[in-house]
Amino acid sequence: MSDATLGRDAALLVPIVKTGRGFYVTVTILGLLIAWGAVAYWTQFDQGLGVTGLHQPVSWGFYVTNFVFFIGISHAGTLISAILRLTKAEWRRPITRMAEVITVMVLLIGAGQILIDLGRPDRLMNIFRYGRYQSPLLWDATSISAYFFASTVYLYLPLIPDIAILRDHLGGKRRFLYSVLAMGWTGTEHQQKILNRAIAILAVMVIPIAVSVHTVVSFVFSMTIQPMWHSTIFGPYFVAGAIFSGIAALIVAMGIIRRIYHFEAYLKPIHFRYLGYLLLVMTLLWFYLTFAEYLTGYYGSEPEEMKVFWSKFTGPFWPFFWAMVVCNLVIPLILLVRLRHHAVGKTVVASISVVIGMWLERFNIVVPTLSNPRLPFPEGQYWPTWIEWGETAGSFGLFILFYVIFVKLFPIISIWEIREGREVGVKEVEERLLTYLPDGAEPERAHDRAHDRARALT
Amino acid sequence: MSRPDPAFERTVRIFQWAIAGSTLVFISSIVLWIVHLIRTAWSLGDVPSASIGISLVAIPVFLTLLGVGLSVFWGLLRGGGPR
Repeated sequence: MSDATLGRDAALLVPIVKTGRGFYVTVTILGLLIAWGAVAYWTQFDQGLGVTGLHQPVSWGFYVTNFVFFIGISHAGTLISAILRLTKAEWRRPITRMAEVITVMVLLIGAGQILIDLGRPDRLMNIFRYGRYQSPLLWDATSISAYFFASTVYLYLPLIPDIAILRDHLGGKRRFLYSVLAMGWTGTEHQQKILNRAIAILAVMVIPIAVSVHTVVSFVFSMTIQPMWHSTIFGPYFVAGAIFSGIAALIVAMGIIRRIYHFEAYLKPIHFRYLGYLLLVMTLLWFYLTFAEYLTGYYGSEPEEMKVFWSKFTGPFWPFFWAMVVCNLVIPLILLVRLRHHAVGKTVVASISVVIGMWLERFNIVVPTLSNPRLPFPEGQYWPTWIEWGETAGSFGLFILFYVIFVKLFPIISIWEIREGREVGVKEVEERLLTYLPDGAEPERAHDRAHDRARALT
Repeated sequence: MSRPDPAFERTVRIFQWAIAGSTLVFISSIVLWIVHLIRTAWSLGDVPSASIGISLVAIPVFLTLLGVGLSVFWGLLRGGGPR
């Protein structure tokens, strides 16, 4: 590797070229979790869903909770990254890729939960053969497919210039992989123009797709007339919750990567502070929507709704409900209100709390309603067995393993975007700032900017 | 920099075309699947309006995504210069 060519950004290739003992230890631990999940799945596949805690009326438990949770986390990436790109938030540069990777990885894991929940995965073929678009489950399949494809392309396109750097600087077995994925990138003005245009189009497209994904996930619940599911605000409630958990997951990933790879020069306290403020806003929005949702149900006092309501507040689900409130509201509020000092530690702790709280929120939506159904089924309790615990642990292990492998193969912080920030972004921000002022000059033409950008990068 | 091995370059190019081809197959499969669902709903008289309504949004989205992906693929391969 040539440090001279890469200059001060050579540090960003360190995770790729150096493999420490920690990597093998991490992979071994994750491998054990995945093995537990695999054994659990094989047992379930062999003996049927009877080995889980799922039964009538609680036919959705951990799997659907995990599905909603993982799909929610996927809003970390593409949505946040796209919004920051479109609003030209310059502080986005070191964090966008981390966010985009989370999206692609968790979408795979999230969609996999439905396969696990099927019990008979061969019946998946029935969706292809006899699917009916009247079912929100099929809306889900369509929008998640679109989001997965859009997110993968949106992750891949900004990765191309960095893959070309790897192709040109690294030898060995991986050179073939990088040569294929670099798509002949040499950084010409023409290539830069095409790439920038495609990234801009995708950034615009992924925002409505991402919003549609979690809205449609909420429709799986709200299109039924089950108590505390049949709600008009479930769409925005789910989207807000998804962005909330997504930002939290991103901050946790940033904290871990900063610590392990010593990226303090790239992931500065200011990045955590800005995301911390976003998290604080989402905390308040989440509380507002939760309050509106529960107050409306309580005020109506419909008997079936109230059974679910009280089962959460004081009944068998109270530990989960109040733990959710503490994790999603109390802890973040305490930690995020003042971020002038120890911004990194405070935001990471608050984010871990939110990730746990949002998983509990999904559980509190799925299970209490099914335990107290509207139809005259007997009430039911849900106790997950080691099968569900194993598959949950395996799913988290698989997600983290995918992430670790990505970090081992590609720069987790975009090298070219950091360079572009230094060489073009600073000038652009100055020009933009001048145009905001009353006697400011007109902004430079887009063509000239593209030319400058290409020249800086080649 | 040494001149790249032509056989290596050819293999790389084949894999790149394979990626583009897979993308095309993937998106085409989804579009065909959606069309199949419309046909099934139509033949059964099973609320075809739902299928048509959703596919009016879904199919253009998938095709646009495919168009963006392929235009980048084609543009990068054609617009490259010397390394």
